[in-house]
Amino acid sequence: MKENLVPVSGPRPRTRQREATRRQLVEAGLRVVAEHGFAGATTAAIARATGKAHGTVFVHFATRDALVEALVAEVGQAMSQRLSVLPADTCGVGEVLDAHLLALGEHEVLYARLLREATALPLSARARVFALQSAVGSRLRQALGRDVGRGVARAMDPVALTNLWIALTNHYLMNRDLFAPGDSVVSLRGAELKAQLLAVLQP
Amino acid sequence: MSHPEHCPSCGSCGFPMREPADFAGGQPGAAYCSTCGDDAGRLRPYEEVLQANADYLVRQQGLDPNAAREMARALLAAMPAWQTGAPRPGA
Repeated sequence: MKENLVPVSGPRPRTRQREATRRQLVEAGLRVVAEHGFAGATTAAIARATGKAHGTVFVHFATRDALVEALVAEVGQAMSQRLSVLPADTCGVGEVLDAHLLALGEHEVLYARLLREATALPLSARARVFALQSAVGSRLRQALGRDVGRGVARAMDPVALTNLWIALTNHYLMNRDLFAPGDSVVSLRGAELKAQLLAVLQP
Repeated sequence: MSHPEHCPSCGSCGFPMREPADFAGGQPGAAYCSTCGDDAGRLRPYEEVLQANADYLVRQQGLDPNAAREMARALLAAMPAWQTGAPRPGA
């Protein structure tokens, strides 16, 4: 057990200020990425968006890669939280798909940018995407076992199921301008994608 | 960014922990998940954690084992538990 070194009254003002500035940089970074993509999210652009000096970015993030990693972690963390609220022992495949679609819909613009630019990002950022996809896969694997046991789905390789679903959603997200011009592709087409996958699982 | 029902994440791999079985030793409040921590809640050695995380990527998505290992190495390097003294990607 680690000792609790933080006073009961909370972090010192200087620490709070530091955390607040870091938070501002991350929030601004997410906005810049949503508008200009990761390629356009330079440290200078993010500093400008917060009204702070360029050097401030490097007080909080040693390199641009560290900042990009923090932005991707922020999105990945929020999406993971969506999946983690699923009931561990009872949910079926349909509920896992719903939770994943909800997470994708909440972060659609950023996540689509992330998918499109993944190969140009630091490996740690790409690893976050695959960690999230693995979490979806883990939930799908458990849910598939339950649905097969209930007789509402046919047995199939869980890896194939995961990759089929990831490929389907990623394809629609990466080409969202073609599948749902000017709209949310998850809102407009999510139910259709879910129905397509569940049809594959029909006993 | 909102976290409607926030749950803690593993300090080693970032996995969200909600059910007791998600935590090391089955103890809610443990700093690490059941993959990265031992039954007493302590962080496992780096090599074990690295391999377990690589195996997870292979098991869930069918990644090439070597690619999965490099990806797991990159993921761990960005996590609080491995910020100091941990082998870096490509090391």
